[in-house]
Order: sequence, then structure tokens, then C-alpha cells
Amino acid sequence: MLEAALDGLLGVLALHSLGLMCVGVLIGSLVGFLPGIGGPTTLAIMLPFVMTMQDPMAVIALLVGLDAVGNTASAFTSILISVPGSSGSQATILDGFAMAKRGEAARALSASFMASLIGGFIGPIVLLASLPFLRPLVLAFGSPEFFVLTIWGLAMVGVLSGNAPVKGLLAGIIGVLIATVGLDVKSGIERFAFGEPYLWEGISLILVALGLFGVPECIDLASRKTSIAERTELGSGFTEGIKDVFRHWWLTVRSSAVGVWVGFLPGLGSSVADWFAYAHAIQTEKNPGRFGQGDVRGVIAPEAANNSKEAGSYIPTLAFGIPGGTSTALILTAFVAVGIEPGPEMLTSKLNFTFAVIWTLVIANIVAVAACMAFVKPISKACFFPFYTIVPLILVFVIVGGFSAHFSNTDLLVLLVFSVLGFMMRRHGWPRAPLLLGVVLGAKMELYLWLSYTRFGLEWLWRPGVIILFVLVLASVLYPVWQQKRAVTSA
Amino acid sequence: MDGPARTRQQRNVEKVLFTAFVGTILVIAMVVAWEWPVRASIIVLLLGSIGIALTLVQLVSDLKSIAPDSVPSEALNLEAPAFESSSRWGTLEIWGWIIGFLVLIQLIGFLYAIPLFTFLYTKGYGGGWFLSLVLAACAWSLVYAIFGAVLHVPWPDPLISVFKIQ
Repeated sequence: MLEAALDGLLGVLALHSLGLMCVGVLIGSLVGFLPGIGGPTTLAIMLPFVMTMQDPMAVIALLVGLDAVGNTASAFTSILISVPGSSGSQATILDGFAMAKRGEAARALSASFMASLIGGFIGPIVLLASLPFLRPLVLAFGSPEFFVLTIWGLAMVGVLSGNAPVKGLLAGIIGVLIATVGLDVKSGIERFAFGEPYLWEGISLILVALGLFGVPECIDLASRKTSIAERTELGSGFTEGIKDVFRHWWLTVRSSAVGVWVGFLPGLGSSVADWFAYAHAIQTEKNPGRFGQGDVRGVIAPEAANNSKEAGSYIPTLAFGIPGGTSTALILTAFVAVGIEPGPEMLTSKLNFTFAVIWTLVIANIVAVAACMAFVKPISKACFFPFYTIVPLILVFVIVGGFSAHFSNTDLLVLLVFSVLGFMMRRHGWPRAPLLLGVVLGAKMELYLWLSYTRFGLEWLWRPGVIILFVLVLASVLYPVWQQKRAVTSA
Repeated sequence: MDGPARTRQQRNVEKVLFTAFVGTILVIAMVVAWEWPVRASIIVLLLGSIGIALTLVQLVSDLKSIAPDSVPSEALNLEAPAFESSSRWGTLEIWGWIIGFLVLIQLIGFLYAIPLFTFLYTKGYGGGWFLSLVLAACAWSLVYAIFGAVLHVPWPDPLISVFKIQ
């Protein structure tokens, strides 16, 4: 294990990988403090570029670096203009913006950076500690268990990623069906291609991701016409904010643990981690009445959680190939494209890649926090960019990124179709993450189902692991539905 | 019926239509897959049938919401936030820009359409001449450097041959 850890560290610290990690951190931070552009959109734009790369370590450094730091920089807009830069920093607004209005923006920002740094350390430590437990579990699984696990991942994301479980499950099913489009190599059948050679290779995940997330977010930003917000001064107390985190070190550790747990469960994601940690802080801390009125603990808890959550989400992604959300689904696609196949190998022969992910999470967080602290003044000014400077640039990159899927004009048509679908889904409250996850998991799900059927007939349904996992699937689907029914009844 | 109630009713009808559209897609997928060998159709038939059952459940729930006596639930928000446009033309405005950009790409090619679109959008919404020109130049340079020079994207020929890159 030590050898793999060292190999992973050297791979990440190689000049080429380190440079790309810094690029990833820079892009991730930019995306973080510019409201309207989400991490998934950026990852989708990056996919065509990343898939041409040959070095798996460089891909890990770039994408994991980008993904790890988005929530760190997003605190800028949450605290300064009360607009979350990413979905993971919504809870930060409650106390962060209140502190800024009181002239303590600098203190809130430094507390959020330090909490992010500690959360960014605790997450990878938990990921590292989980490896000895994951290895025997993954090795004991066969294709029937993996099939049910893919269903579980999809069901969890479907049920939990929005507020509409049935719509979420339907979106996941549509995603799996989209994944079946093209020539089926095993049976030689052309599926849903309708004689169109363009569709024989299937629908590119890049187009699905850009259409579902890139264009609708852009439409949202352009429609809201976010104008230049009232400027908030940074104020004083920068070092005080850092001290605050150490003063409340136990809250920081507990909130980080909450973040890892939320990240580990597929479907919950960033937008929940910060609220869970915030709620945990209110429930467990003294003088809860101060929360919401500019209490620094209300900044520390969500910021520690949204960073530690990233490492938690890599546990099911790397060990079982079940991504926890949209970002990890896109990263998983890039990993597979460059030869990093999640599953048992990531815990045995390719353990160095797993360590590279862990090291990248740690180093990227250090770089991002150092950069945010060093450039706090210029970055604060950049938060006030009006929408018309951001929208055209995103649209240009989304459309050119879409064209790069197959270098065909049909790519633009497919992109438009998925953009309309993404727009309609968002308009009518259909969660989009399950659809994307369905496209990512579809081929695997089909393969595991077929292998289970041909090897064991229907006997596989009675394997103990399968029964336990099916119970978990049912519980995951039925419990939230039951909770909603209860809430409606009591209302 | 007052304005907001009419808008809500309109949105609910749209919701039903969208769910019905999803159901139709699933039915078509099942019918098409029926003819395939088991190896190719198993996943489509398995998930498609579950999907159709779920669509019916969703459709019933959506239809309840357009009933004249239905009361919007204030207690529980089951939907993700939808677009609330502040502009007169709503989201049609930005869709117009997107379609226009795609048409422009076909007519004059990527390398001319990108700076022109960026400039027109920025200027159109109140950006100054300098900012609009700088952004247009930035967009063009970034796309040319990343997609042109690094990824070697073969730009397609535009319909208007004057703009063809030699």
C-alpha cells in the first residue's frame, strides 16, 4: 500500500500533472465564484479535451483538482453578494452575508477558506481509512450484486436528487434507454438508430451533459439578468476568521464528517451537504439563536462539509463504479476513456490511481485556499461581473464543446435537442442528474444483467448479497415517498 | 381566473403534456424493442415496463393538479425551482440568441460567428464598446487556442463561401 501511495504522489507531483492540476484549480475556482456556471457544465466542456490525453495521472490531476475546489471559491459570492457560486454554498449565505453586511466579510471569508481546507483534509483521510474495508467487500461481489448496485445508485440519485421521486426514477430510466442507442456489438442489432449512421456509435455523453446542464444554466442566468450587485466592503478581521475555525475545531471536524457521509450516499450531493451540516450545527451548538444573524459557526459548518463531501463521493465511484452525482458521473466517464476502470482493480493492482485521487484532493485544496487567501481582493471584485459578460462566453464554449463530440453539424442538432429536454425538465421540476447517471451506468447495467442471467439463470435473484441490496433499493425508494406522504398528511 | 392562477394552470397543463410525452417515448421504445433478440431487448423491456407504470402514476398526480378545484400546496414543495424570467419575452429571448448563434455558425463558420455573437450579445445588453470588443477577442482566442491549436478541431465550411477559411 505504501508503494502505491508513493507512486500516486509522484504521479501527481510530476511537472505535467502538477501544472494541469493548477489549471484545474484555477478553472474550478473561477467557476466557483462566477454564479451561474456549475461544476458539471465545466466538466462537460472539458471532456473533449481530456479524452485526447494519454496520461491517466494527468487526467486525475486536472479533473479531480477542478472538482475539488469549486466549493471553496463559491464562498466569495455567497458571502459578498448573497448569491451562491455553487449549490454547495447556499447555507453559507445565511450567516456569511449577514457578517458581510456588518463589515466582517474578510473574517467570514477567511473562516470559510480555513474550514474548507480542514474539510478538504478530513475527506481524503476518511477515503484512505475506508480502503481496507472496501477491498474485501468489492472482491466478494459478482455481476448480480454489481447489477443491483447500479440499480441502487440510480434509484438513490433518482429519488433523492430532486423533490419528486417518481420523476427522478423516470429520468434515470430514460437515461439508461438513451445509453442503448446505437449498434449492439453482442447481438449485431441496430438499436434506436433508425438507419442513421450518426447514431450507430451511440449518443455522446458530452452532448447529453452539455445539453442538460450547460444550456439550461445559461438560460437561467440570462433570464434572471443578474445585474451588478451593490458592492460590499471586505472589512477587517481576516486573521480572526482563521482563529475562529480553530476555536470551533470540534464543529469543523463534525461538519466534515457529515459532509463525507452525504458524499458517500449517491444522490444527495453538494446542495444537501451544507444544509445538513448547518442543521447539525444549530442542533448541537450552544446559543443556536445566534445562527442566521452573522454567526461565524454558520459559515464554518457548511464550508467544511461541502469540501469534505467531495472525497466521500469518490468512495462509491472508485470502488463500485457508482458515481454519487453529476460531477463524479462525468469524471468517471473521463476515467474510463483514459483506461482507469473503477471497481476491484482500483483497490488492488491500480491502487496508485486511487492514491492519486486522494493526493489530488489534498494538494488541490491547499493550492485553492492559498490562492483564495492571497488574491482575496481582486477575486472579490470579480464577483460583480454582470451576466452579459458571462453568458456569451459560456454559450460559445458549450456549443464548440458540443461540436467537438464528433466534429459534425449533427452534434449541434443533438445538443439542441438535449438542451430543450434539459430546459423542459428544469421547468417542470424533473431532476436531470438521474438522466445523466442513467446514460453513464446504462451499458454497465445491461452487461451485469446479461452476465447474471447467462451464468445463473434466475438463481442469481436468491443470492444473499442480491437480496440485501434489493432490500436497500426498496428502502431507498419507499422511505422518501413515505416521508413525503407523512409530511403532506401532517400539513 | 386571475393572472397568476391562469399562469399556474397553464404550467400544470404543460406539465401533463411533458409527462405524456415521456410516456409516449417509453411506449415507442418498448414497441420497437419487442422485435429484437433477448440479448438486445432485455434492458429496454425490463426498465421500459417499470417506466410506463411510473409514468401512469405521475400522470395521475399531474392531472390532479389541473383539476379546477385543486389547491396549490404551500406546505410541501415537490418541484425543483423553475425559471422565473424577469424580461418581457421571458426565456424566448435567450432561445432566440442560441438559435441565432447556431444559424450564424452555419452561415459564416465558427471562427467568424464566435466573435460576432460575443460582441453583439455583450453590446446588446449594455456592455461598452471596449468591453464588448475585448470579450469578443478573448472568446475567439480561447476557442482558437484550445479547440483549434491544441485539439485540432476541423472547422466545417460555412454556407457563405466568402467566409471559408483557406
